[in-house]
Amino acid sequence: MMKEEALAWVIRTRDPRFDDWEAFTIWLEGDPERATAYDALMMADADMASILPSEPVAMPVAANDAGTPGRHIWRWAGGGAIAAALVAVVSIGMMNRTDIYTVATRPGETRSIALQDGTKIDLNGGTSLRLDRKDARFAALDSGEAAFTVRHDAGDPFRVTVGDAVFEDAGTIFNIVHVGGATRIGVSEGKVIYNPEAEAIALPAGRALTDDAEGLRVMDVAPAAVASWRQGRLVYLNATIGQVSQDIGRSLGITVNATPAARATRFTGTIRLDDDPARFFAGAAPLMGLSAVRQGDAWLLQESPPKEGNAPQS
Amino acid sequence: MATGLSAIFMTNRAALLRFLRARGAGDEAEDLLQDMWMKLEAKDLGPVSDPLPYLYRMANNLMLDRYRSSTRRERREQDWAVGAGGVMADPNEDIAVDERIILNQRLDEARGVLRTLGPRVEMVFRRFRIEGVGQKVIAEELGVSLTTVEKDLQKAYRAMMALKQKMDTE
Repeated sequence: MMKEEALAWVIRTRDPRFDDWEAFTIWLEGDPERATAYDALMMADADMASILPSEPVAMPVAANDAGTPGRHIWRWAGGGAIAAALVAVVSIGMMNRTDIYTVATRPGETRSIALQDGTKIDLNGGTSLRLDRKDARFAALDSGEAAFTVRHDAGDPFRVTVGDAVFEDAGTIFNIVHVGGATRIGVSEGKVIYNPEAEAIALPAGRALTDDAEGLRVMDVAPAAVASWRQGRLVYLNATIGQVSQDIGRSLGITVNATPAARATRFTGTIRLDDDPARFFAGAAPLMGLSAVRQGDAWLLQESPPKEGNAPQS
Repeated sequence: MATGLSAIFMTNRAALLRFLRARGAGDEAEDLLQDMWMKLEAKDLGPVSDPLPYLYRMANNLMLDRYRSSTRRERREQDWAVGAGGVMADPNEDIAVDERIILNQRLDEARGVLRTLGPRVEMVFRRFRIEGVGQKVIAEELGVSLTTVEKDLQKAYRAMMALKQKMDTE
């Protein structure tokens, strides 16, 4: 209890505008231990600095209500013709808008959203997505996985912002996964343009794009595999087990780890999802040529004892 | 120091003394107050917009410095005992490559933890703790109440401090 209060005072006194030192004095006088608790937490606060990621917070906002001038604004280069739909990435300083709202799902929970323009968005578990009440053609995927079934309008393309990348639809069903700095998009119908004002990579149905620490790659994907989690199955064409285990974790709401050896293998095939993890892994792990063991609340995918290397076709 | 700060200091001397005592300065409260006075005299600080909060903050920082150096001394003595006469490593030395890798992993882990708290909590925390923006401004920016901002910060602080502690004991 005292620690909780001390933490509240750490946060209050750390505020550059804090001025209620008398109230702070009175709290301290209540118990001599409080000063020590406060000191210890202030020191923990200072120690925390070494693990604080320093990237600026970016918030996508439609450019036509750019708000206060003089603040940090930058836009995608070029693009006069699509000015009406221009999306600018703006520093959070401009976020004094209440029409941007967040829709989130817990791990294992899925949710479907219908937008006014007829577009449908399906959220997989553990996902956070921002939408704009004033602009139905905008979405920002902050983390997790979402499938977009977009009502196409050539004059007003639907755009999804993921980190600092933009995906623009060209009549489309597509799925985006954004986890831990990596972004994956698969297109099952129509076409999506990746960063229309920069790289402008066209992704037709059956193509996928991955952007992670290793860079930008475009590859083939089974169209039926895209957003197959909505039908309770996961479909893969030569996917890494690292990716597969992430998808399983998100879809079932559990933590799935994989040993480095298992992670290096690839999988092609269909996995049926099951709410009971034990039953699910009993069927799915052999399919991947792996075995699964329970570790507390998590599951670990590892190589099957007698075999090694790539998944056998079982 | 002919600015208003000295006058404010004199007027609020008793309150500042009371604060230092409450902060755990004990018998040394008077001496610390004297130190503050000397510091104020030594530097021409120019006009300060909120003189009294400024003086309180100065006193608070003095106490934090004291606490920090006392724990550091304790820690150093411990290290010394463990090292059994070896040469003490300077904690301020440049970070080695392998430590840098660990540091990057820790940053990634911290990023992950922040992300799990939800976008608003993450934003509030980053804005406050990394960019140094006040809570009132953040509340206005996000269109939420000051209480919400404070609760978000407490949530983020608890998670980040727990993470740091976990890392330190690993």
